[in-house]
Amino acid sequence: MSVVERIEKLKSEALSALEEAGTTKDLESVRVRYLGRSADLTEIKKSIRDLPADDRKAVGGASNRATKAIEAALTERLAEVAIAEREEKLRAEAVDVTLPGVPYPKGSLHPSLRIIDEVVDFFVGLGYRVAEGPEVETDYYNFTALNIPPGHPARGMQDTFFLDDGLVLRTHTSPVQIRTMLGEEPPVYVVCPGRTYRRDSDPTHTPMFNQIEGLAVDRGLTLGHLKGTLAAMARYVFGEDVRLRLRPSYFQFTEPSVEMDVSCFVCGGSDPNCKVCKGAGWIEMGGAGMVDPAVLSEVGYDHEEYTGFAFGFGPDRMAMVRYGIPDLRLFFEGDLRFLQQF
Amino acid sequence: MRVPLSWLREYVDFDLSADELADLFSLRSQEVDGIERFGVLEGEVVVGEVVEFGPHPNADRLNVAKVDLGGQVVQIVAGAPNPYPGARIPVVRPGSVLAGGRKLKKAKLRGMESNGMMMSERELGISAEHSGILLLDDSYEVGRPLSDYFPVGETVLELDINPNRPDLWGMIGVARELAAILATQFRVPEPSFEPAGEPTGVYALRVEAPNLCPRYDLRRVSGGRPGAKAPLEMRRRIHAAGMRPVNAIVDATNYVMLETGQPIHAFDAEKVRGGIVVRRAHPGEKMTMLDGHTRSLDEEMLVIADEERGLVVAGVMGAETAEVGDETTDVLVEVATFVGRNIMETSQRLALRTDASGRFERGLDPNMVDFAMNRVTDLIAEATGGQPAPDTLSHYPEPVGPWQVPLRLSRAERLLGMPVGEADASERLRGLGCGVEPGDGKLSVTVPTFRRDLTREADLIEEVGRLIGLENVPESLPRAPQAGGLTPEQRKLRTLRRLLADLGLHEAVTYPFGPDRWTRALGLGEDGGVPLALRNPLSAEASNLRRSLMPGLLDAAARNRSFGARGGALFEVGHVFEPRHQPEGMREYALRYRMRGEVGLDAEVLPELLMGVGETNKVAGLLAGTVRAAGWNVPPKPAGFFEAKGIVERLVPGATFEPRREPFLHPGRAAAVLVDGEEAGWVGEVHPETADGFGLDGWPVAAFELDLAFADPDPEPRFRPFVNVPSVSMDLAVVVDGDVRVGEMLVEISSLGSPILAETRVFDVYEGSQVPEGKKSVALNFTFQAEETLTDEAVKGELDRISARLRDAFGAEVRRG
Repeated sequence: MSVVERIEKLKSEALSALEEAGTTKDLESVRVRYLGRSADLTEIKKSIRDLPADDRKAVGGASNRATKAIEAALTERLAEVAIAEREEKLRAEAVDVTLPGVPYPKGSLHPSLRIIDEVVDFFVGLGYRVAEGPEVETDYYNFTALNIPPGHPARGMQDTFFLDDGLVLRTHTSPVQIRTMLGEEPPVYVVCPGRTYRRDSDPTHTPMFNQIEGLAVDRGLTLGHLKGTLAAMARYVFGEDVRLRLRPSYFQFTEPSVEMDVSCFVCGGSDPNCKVCKGAGWIEMGGAGMVDPAVLSEVGYDHEEYTGFAFGFGPDRMAMVRYGIPDLRLFFEGDLRFLQQF
Repeated sequence: MRVPLSWLREYVDFDLSADELADLFSLRSQEVDGIERFGVLEGEVVVGEVVEFGPHPNADRLNVAKVDLGGQVVQIVAGAPNPYPGARIPVVRPGSVLAGGRKLKKAKLRGMESNGMMMSERELGISAEHSGILLLDDSYEVGRPLSDYFPVGETVLELDINPNRPDLWGMIGVARELAAILATQFRVPEPSFEPAGEPTGVYALRVEAPNLCPRYDLRRVSGGRPGAKAPLEMRRRIHAAGMRPVNAIVDATNYVMLETGQPIHAFDAEKVRGGIVVRRAHPGEKMTMLDGHTRSLDEEMLVIADEERGLVVAGVMGAETAEVGDETTDVLVEVATFVGRNIMETSQRLALRTDASGRFERGLDPNMVDFAMNRVTDLIAEATGGQPAPDTLSHYPEPVGPWQVPLRLSRAERLLGMPVGEADASERLRGLGCGVEPGDGKLSVTVPTFRRDLTREADLIEEVGRLIGLENVPESLPRAPQAGGLTPEQRKLRTLRRLLADLGLHEAVTYPFGPDRWTRALGLGEDGGVPLALRNPLSAEASNLRRSLMPGLLDAAARNRSFGARGGALFEVGHVFEPRHQPEGMREYALRYRMRGEVGLDAEVLPELLMGVGETNKVAGLLAGTVRAAGWNVPPKPAGFFEAKGIVERLVPGATFEPRREPFLHPGRAAAVLVDGEEAGWVGEVHPETADGFGLDGWPVAAFELDLAFADPDPEPRFRPFVNVPSVSMDLAVVVDGDVRVGEMLVEISSLGSPILAETRVFDVYEGSQVPEGKKSVALNFTFQAEETLTDEAVKGELDRISARLRDAFGAEVRRG
């Protein structure tokens, strides 16, 4: 067999070996076998210079072509095998994507405070600030300054927790309004969220509950402004379609006084068995009114120059209707089965 | 206030269904709490006469009657045994609908056909009486509809009357209000009687406490028939209004009270000795009242007495002594006005609230007395056949007259935000009983004495506004002339709560009052002063104001455990309360501040001292049991000191920690949280004994509590320049004595002030077989960073400096390999 024929044979052996090799490692050993330092082809190349001059050209050409062909095939196969190997690796790495992810902790915010945050955001957008005050209040701020002097029957409407002489747990957040007005000159636009306390305990009353009150005192404020403000808030919290209704009411610190109802955001009044509005079509939301002139005078505001409105409602109750919570008592038990739903 | 609509129709005409009326009243005046229906709602009730009556052949407890309904005789099966042949009885016909919605049908009872039902008083809505069929007297004509005599069905509106409207505690007031709403007329009954009875004047009237009794009138009705019953319709109305019919005299007083709102008392004149004395109770005076209880009175209480004994605690309740009864023939009727606040206080001190006291305490109109007296004596006379006296004894030294209140229409428009016409406003106020003189954009309004709530312009504006209808007030939004927003503290609180929720804690809101245990179990009772206690807690279990958020959260955790939770993480933001010792002599100032808002001393120190209470806003977290359950790829995470501390480090990034003992914390696993040397709160594992006390025995419990003022969950960032040169990371493990604190080592390292040390991280702390007894290995990782590429020598030099400092300060030996 001539040298050239040997070269051709080696080439075709190498090519078929490459074709058969299925892994990067096999390909490498094929490379070593046919192109390595001690491979036959390499030996032949080394021996060219010893060949007769006539043969050198033919053998040199044949060996170079063979080397190139093998190298080309090797490169191609390496790429092919790399792809196959990566695919195989990825196939082996497949996971059950339906298994749960790493449990990043998930806590919750209290439903009433979620509502308070939302209501506060609404009023902040209207230019209000948030005012806060103590929960142990004086008799003066909680009652007298709000036009409820000692002995007034309206005091009996609010079952009060008493502490040391002249101290109570605030029965509403209204004393914060007084503190605010005593501290600054009009115009005043504030909302006052917070905990309040009444000595009352039954399925619909807890001795502690949240309240959010608002106060606006400025030149030219009317009941229409109060109504517009509350209606806008109701739409913000309960949806664009709800309507607001005012009914006459009585509070010692507002005149005129009103109750506010929001049209049922679930049934709109169309379902006599509605769980949210009990078929009434309206949900009682809270009380409001134009600030009583006696209250404005008490804090040193000129009630001829300034008028104001005030309103108050229960975020707990709002959370009940919005989230469908049946029992107020659930709010204050720290029960995880309840809290983690929010 | 219960308003039977048939009664209301006597005073005012209206063409509205009960539901429409309820809606209208709610939107214009007072809230309607409910609508109640009695008797026969639809169909026919006729007067029948029993022809035959006998036992049912197939049933022991039933009877069968043949009843003549006026030309037609029908058979009716009945349970009641009291009808007899010849008796006149009400019969409701098949097809009628009874209260509750039941439709009466022809029926067969044990084989006998029954065509209708004979009715008891309860079934007709006359009273609660249901032991037999109502027997009618001969004036009821057989075959006539019973509704020709009185309503056989009734609808009652339950009004929730606001406390400023005592005038609506009577049917006449409600009628006036409805007429004003409907812009129509109303009418009141006109009493008329022959004043031919025995004179009242043989009795004396002496008012010894005029300050508590603005008006007291007394009139006698004599010669009545003993044991008389009030007319059926009166009894029916009293029942429908929610009271119990008693006898003709008591029923008349109650009836007129329901009509006018004015409570009335009747004495049996023969039992009154000498006359009526209105006086304060004697010290130590006792009275056995109609409810059978004997009560001790005091001098602040007003008593109606005769010359010898107390007869009534004024405005509240009477004693048996001079009450009218079935034998009474001669009556002294009291119609009076007392000072509302005094009645309220008396009723509170006696813990006795009655229909009368509830009315008197609102403050009644003394001018109501005349009408009520005429009306009640007329009704008593009519029902008993007696005669009112020609004279009335009256104490009314300072008659009250109507008063004037000016009303500017422009002001009304400015307050209501809608147009208010002069004629419209005038008519509406007149409808309420006011006199109105218009002129020059102003109304001069004369307010009747029964509207004591209308004293100021704003009061009248409210009346006009609600009668025009609040739905007519247009909605508009004011433009606040300020930028709204949260303060930095409020924003910080928002972030903090959100952060805690995102870290896996659940926000709780717990009651701030609890049992003694709350302070005792936390060991706070000993040196921390007296707990702040409520004077009137709902129970002893809820009397002490919290001084820490901890106990409420511990109770909640225990509750969760009892319902099967294996652990959990809670947080709460809320106020805690600390008693503040008041310096001697400050009590008087404190009371003036608390009661009158007066700040009599230096305002800087004051409010908190005058309050005697310090209130702080805090945040607390409680990790109990297994804080996070195991997942398929993560181990469970139990509560522990470093879990809690990690949270605190997020809330107060710059805090330092030093060991701290608190009675309720694990002595070796608790730390004070310091911010710039100031104490911001604590973090630690809860003492096992404390955990036991709250029912958390065997659970790991870790917690923290911080003063909100120190929390800074999202500090303002400050840019620090960096260079694009690779940093070098090096580890160093040293062996130190077991009690060396790693925190102090870190402080020591940072005190070197290395110019290239960018970050230090503790990545391992090891005690065990690889290090000598009593020693521990602390492995640290340092990141070095300079403005130029660091050389090995530079890094090694710095590492050596650190090792040397640790050796000098703590005897640390560098651990090789």
